[in-house]
Amino acid sequence: MVTRALKGPRFMVSDHPLPWLLPLIVILVVFALYPFFYNIFLSFHEFAPRKRALVPVGFENWQKLFADPRMWSAFYVTLFYTGVCLTIQLVLGMAIALLIDSDDRGFGFLRGVMTLTLVIPPAVTGMMFLLMQDSQFGLISWTLQSLGVLSPATPILATSSLAIWGVILADVWQWTPFMVLIFIAGLRSLPRDPFESAMIDGASAWQIFRRITLPMMSKVIAIAVLIRGIDLFRMFDYVFVMTSGGPGTATYTLSLYAWQQTFSFIKWGYGATLSLFALFVILIAANLFVKIFKVRW
Amino acid sequence: MRESDRKLFLASVTDRYVRGELSRRNFLQAAGKLGLGAGALGLTATLPFGARQGFFNSAAAAEISPDADMMAWLKDVAKPFAGQTIRLATESTPPSNAINQHLKPFFEEATGINVEIEVLPLEQVLQKLTLDVASGLGTYDLYYLDQSWMASFSGDVIDPREKYAASSALAMPNYNFDDFLKPLVDGISMYEDTMVGVPYDIPIFIYMYRKDVYDELGLKVATTMDEFLANAQAIQKAKGPDIYGTTGQMKSGHYSLECDWTAWLWGHGGSVFGPDSKFSGNDDAGLAAMEYWVKLKENMPPGVTSWTWDGQGQSVGQGIAGQVLSWGEFFPSWDNPESSRVSGLMEAAVPPAPKALRTVGETGFGEIPGVGHQGGSSLAVSKYSKSQDAAWLFAQWATSADTQVFITTLGGGTGPTRTSVYDDARVKANAKPGIPGTTRHLNVVRDTIDNHMGSEPDLPEWAELSNDTIPVELGRFFAGEYDNPKAAMDSIADKVNKIVAG
Amino acid sequence: MVLTPAQRILRALVAWAVVMLFAFPIYYWITVSIKLGRDIFAIPPKIFSFETSAKSYEEVFGISLGFEKGIAVLPGGGDFYMAPRLMDSIIIAVFSTAVAVLVATLAAYALSRMRFRGQHHFVFWILSTRMMPPVAVAIPMFFIYKDFGLLDTYTGIVLVHALMNMPLAVLLLKSFFDDIPKEIDEAALIDGASRFLIFRKLVLPMALGGIAATAVLCFIFSWTEFLFALTLTQTSLKTVPVVSSTFVTSTGTAWGNMAALGTAAMLPAFVFILLVQKNLVRGLTLGSVKQ
Repeated sequence: MVTRALKGPRFMVSDHPLPWLLPLIVILVVFALYPFFYNIFLSFHEFAPRKRALVPVGFENWQKLFADPRMWSAFYVTLFYTGVCLTIQLVLGMAIALLIDSDDRGFGFLRGVMTLTLVIPPAVTGMMFLLMQDSQFGLISWTLQSLGVLSPATPILATSSLAIWGVILADVWQWTPFMVLIFIAGLRSLPRDPFESAMIDGASAWQIFRRITLPMMSKVIAIAVLIRGIDLFRMFDYVFVMTSGGPGTATYTLSLYAWQQTFSFIKWGYGATLSLFALFVILIAANLFVKIFKVRW
Repeated sequence: MRESDRKLFLASVTDRYVRGELSRRNFLQAAGKLGLGAGALGLTATLPFGARQGFFNSAAAAEISPDADMMAWLKDVAKPFAGQTIRLATESTPPSNAINQHLKPFFEEATGINVEIEVLPLEQVLQKLTLDVASGLGTYDLYYLDQSWMASFSGDVIDPREKYAASSALAMPNYNFDDFLKPLVDGISMYEDTMVGVPYDIPIFIYMYRKDVYDELGLKVATTMDEFLANAQAIQKAKGPDIYGTTGQMKSGHYSLECDWTAWLWGHGGSVFGPDSKFSGNDDAGLAAMEYWVKLKENMPPGVTSWTWDGQGQSVGQGIAGQVLSWGEFFPSWDNPESSRVSGLMEAAVPPAPKALRTVGETGFGEIPGVGHQGGSSLAVSKYSKSQDAAWLFAQWATSADTQVFITTLGGGTGPTRTSVYDDARVKANAKPGIPGTTRHLNVVRDTIDNHMGSEPDLPEWAELSNDTIPVELGRFFAGEYDNPKAAMDSIADKVNKIVAG
Repeated sequence: MVLTPAQRILRALVAWAVVMLFAFPIYYWITVSIKLGRDIFAIPPKIFSFETSAKSYEEVFGISLGFEKGIAVLPGGGDFYMAPRLMDSIIIAVFSTAVAVLVATLAAYALSRMRFRGQHHFVFWILSTRMMPPVAVAIPMFFIYKDFGLLDTYTGIVLVHALMNMPLAVLLLKSFFDDIPKEIDEAALIDGASRFLIFRKLVLPMALGGIAATAVLCFIFSWTEFLFALTLTQTSLKTVPVVSSTFVTSTGTAWGNMAALGTAAMLPAFVFILLVQKNLVRGLTLGSVKQ
C-alpha cells in the first residue's frame, strides 16, 4: 500500500473544516463583507456637494431607482448583453475546446495562442476594437464595407441597432478563450475509462459528447457560466471605451451608470444603490441557475 | 527619491550631458548623487542614449536653462520644505507631460521638494479628485481642474491670489497675476468671486483649414457662419468623399459632443441658459444652430458620430477633412510629418463671426458666449493638503512665464496662459511650418482668446449636464431617435431643468 | 477519440484556422506598434507591408534601439521608463496568484472532502463576493486602505486581487478535487495518515493540472484588472492596464505607444501561461483508484 509511507506528524488530523477555511473566511469578511455593508449604508445617504459630507436621505435613492427610466434601460441593455455574450461564448467555447483538445503535434501551441486574448486588459481590447471598427480607418469596417455588408453611412459604434453588436464582438473575442481554457482543463481531468468503454460499444461522437462528456463536465460548465455571467453583468470597460454608452443610451450598462453616478457626478448614494440593485439581480439569477441546474456544492 | 523618479532624473541629466550642456564633471557629480558610478552608466563604452540630435524640436529643447534668478529664489525659499513630497493628478496634456518628463527635475533639484505627478485621462483625474475631495484626505496637494469642474471644486481649494498676498515670503517675485490673459482668468479660474486656481493650460476652438485645398478650389477663409458652411459644401462637392468638407467630435454621451454643440449654439446667438437659469437651447437661436449643424454634418465623414477629439484630430491628420473648427492643440501634431499626412498644409484662422451673440447678462450661470469654445484648466492648491506651501511654490513655478516658455517650445500646441509667453522670442522662433512643435498658430490662439472666446456656464451640476444629459440626448438625435431638432432640444430642456432645480 | 488520418488533417486545419482568426487582432495590434503614426490609419489598411519603426518601443521603454532619439514630450504619463512598471505588474500578478491559489486550495480541499451544515450556502456566499460591481467595492476599499496604510502599496493591490480571484479559484479547485476519487483519501486515512499529509502528498499532485489552470486564470485576471489598480494606487506603482490608459491624451491617442506596451506586456503573461500549462497533462487521475 502506497499510504504506508505516509505516516507523519498528526497535524490537522481532525476532520473539522474550520482550519482549512479560516484564511479564506478572514479575507472574505474583511474585503467582501465590509464593502457590502458600507454600500447599504451609502444607499441611504447622499453626498451633499456643498457640505462635502454624506447626509441621510432615507429611502429616496431606492424610490428614485425604480422610477428612473435610465436605470431600466441600462438594466435591459445589461440583461441582453449578458444573455447574448454568455450563449455565444458557451457554445463557441465548448466547440473550440473540443476542437483543440488533442495531443497531436502543434495543438499545445494552439492552446497557448488561444489564451493570448485573455492577457490583454479589457480597456485596451476596447481601444483595439474601437480602432478596428472605426468607420473611416478601421479594418473591420473597411472589410465589411468592401464586401458590401455594411453601409458607410452606418458607423458600427454610432448606430443604435449595431453598437451593441460591436461591443459584443470585442467581448466574444476576448472571453471565448476563457471558456476554452476552463473547458480544456475540465476535459483533461476527466477519467478515460467511460470514453473507452463507450467507444468499444460503438457510440457515435455526438452520443459520447451528449451522454458522457456533457454530464461529467456539468460542474465545470456551471462554474464557467456563473463566473462569466457575473462578470458580464458587471461589464464596464468595453462600453466605457468604445461607445460611452451610446448612441443615446443604446449600450449604457448598469455598471457604467453606477460608475458615472459615483465618480463623475459624485452621487455616491445613488451609485451605491445602483450597485446593490445589480448585486441583487445577479444573486437572484445565480440562485435560480443553481436551483434549475441542480448544482450542489 | 523613488526608483522611477531617479531614473527620470538620470535620463534628463544624461540627455543634457549628451547634448553637451553639462560638463562631464557635473554630470558625474549628479549621477554620483543617484548612486551610479561611471561604470554603471556605461560611460567608458557607449552612452545609453543615441548621441545624435533627435528629430524632435531638439533645437528648442536643448535650451532648457531655467531663469537663474527664479531658481535661486526657489532654492532659498524652499529650504524649510526640502524633503517634502507633493502630489498632483493631471490629465495627459502637453504641458503636464512636458513638466513631468523634462522640467520637473529642475524644480526638484533646486528645492529638494519631491514632485509626484500622476498623468491620467480626463475622466480618471475626475475620479481621483472626487475621492480625494469627498474623503477630505488630502492625498493630492495640487488639483488639475478642468474648467467644467470649476464650480464643483471651488470649495476645496485655496484662492491663489489670497495665498500670494497672505504669505509674502512665498510669493514669487515678478509672478505677476496681471500677465495672465484676462479672458482666461474669467473663463477658467473664476467661480463667482473666488479664484479657484491659476490658469494652467488653454486648448481653445480655432478655425483650421487645408491651404492646398482652399487654393485649389479658390476658397477664401470664412468670416461668417454661412461662409464656413459654404466652404464645407464646396470642398465636399469637389473632393468628397476623399476629402470631406469638415469634420467633428460628435460621439454620443461624450463631453466632446457638448463642446461642438456650444460653438454652434453661441455662434447663432443662442446660449445654454437664459438669465432665468432655465435651459435655453430650445429657443429660436438654439434651433437655428441645430439646423445649421445638421447641414454642416452632411459634409462630415459618417464616422463623426463615433469620434471624440481623438478621431476628429485623426481625420484631419489623415487628410480627409478640408477644414475644421476645433482645438488649437491639434495644430502642431498635424505639422508632424511622422504622424500626419498634412504636414505644412494646414493654416489657422480665428473662428468665423457669430450671426448674433448674447452678452453674459443675457445668459445664466456666468456663461460667456463665443464661437471659440475654450477647454482650459487651472492648477489649484488643495485645502486638505498637508504641504500647502510646497505645493504653492510648485504651482507658481509651473505657471511662471519662464516655465511656460519651455512647456510651449517642448510640448508645442498648448496655448500658454500668459501674455508675455506669446511674445517670447524663444516661442516665436518655433513658429515654422512642418515641424512637430510648431508655434505658428499661436497668434491665432491669442487673438481667439482675446476676442472670440466662449466659456461654459459654471454650476455644480455642470459636470453631469455636460458629460451626460446633453451629449446623450444629442447623441440620440444624431442617431435618428428624435424626429426633429425641436423634439430633441425640448427633451434636453426638460431634463436639464429638472436636474438644475435639484 | 480515434480519427482517420484524413479526419486528423481536417481537424488540424480547422483548428489552425479558428485559432488564427482569434490571433489575428493580436497580430494587427502588433503591427500597430511597429507602424509609423500615419500608416496606422491608412485606407485600405496596411496589414502585411508597411514601413516599420521601433520608435514606439523606444519611447515607451526609454531605450535606444540604435535609432535617433531626441528630447521630446511623449504622451503616456511621462514615466516613459516602463520596464519598472512591467515589473510592478509581474510582482502583483505573481503574488496575488500565489495568495489566491494557496488560500483557495486549502479551502477547496476542505469543501471537497468534508461535509458540514450549510456548506452549499457557504460556497454560494463565496461566489457572491464576486457579484458586487467593482465600482462599489473600490470606494470602501479606498477608505480601509487609507486607514491601514495600504494605499499605493504592493500588499494592498496583491490582497485585493487575491480577494477578487477567490471565488473563481475556490470553485474551480473544488471541482477538480471532486474529480479525484475520495477512496484515495479514505484508504490513506485508515492507514493512519493525517489529512494534511494526504492533501500534500496524494491529492495535491493529482490536482496539479487543475491548479495550473486556476493559477493561469488568477494571473490573467490580476494582470488585466484596471479599476482597483487605478483607484488604490497613486504614483509608487502602476500596473500595465493603468499605464495603458494614460496613452489616451487630450491631443489624441498614442496608438503606437499603447500597442507597443500592450505587445511587450503580452510576453511575461504568455511565458507564465506556457510554464504553467505544462502541467495541464491529460488523465492524471487515470486509474489511480482501481489499483
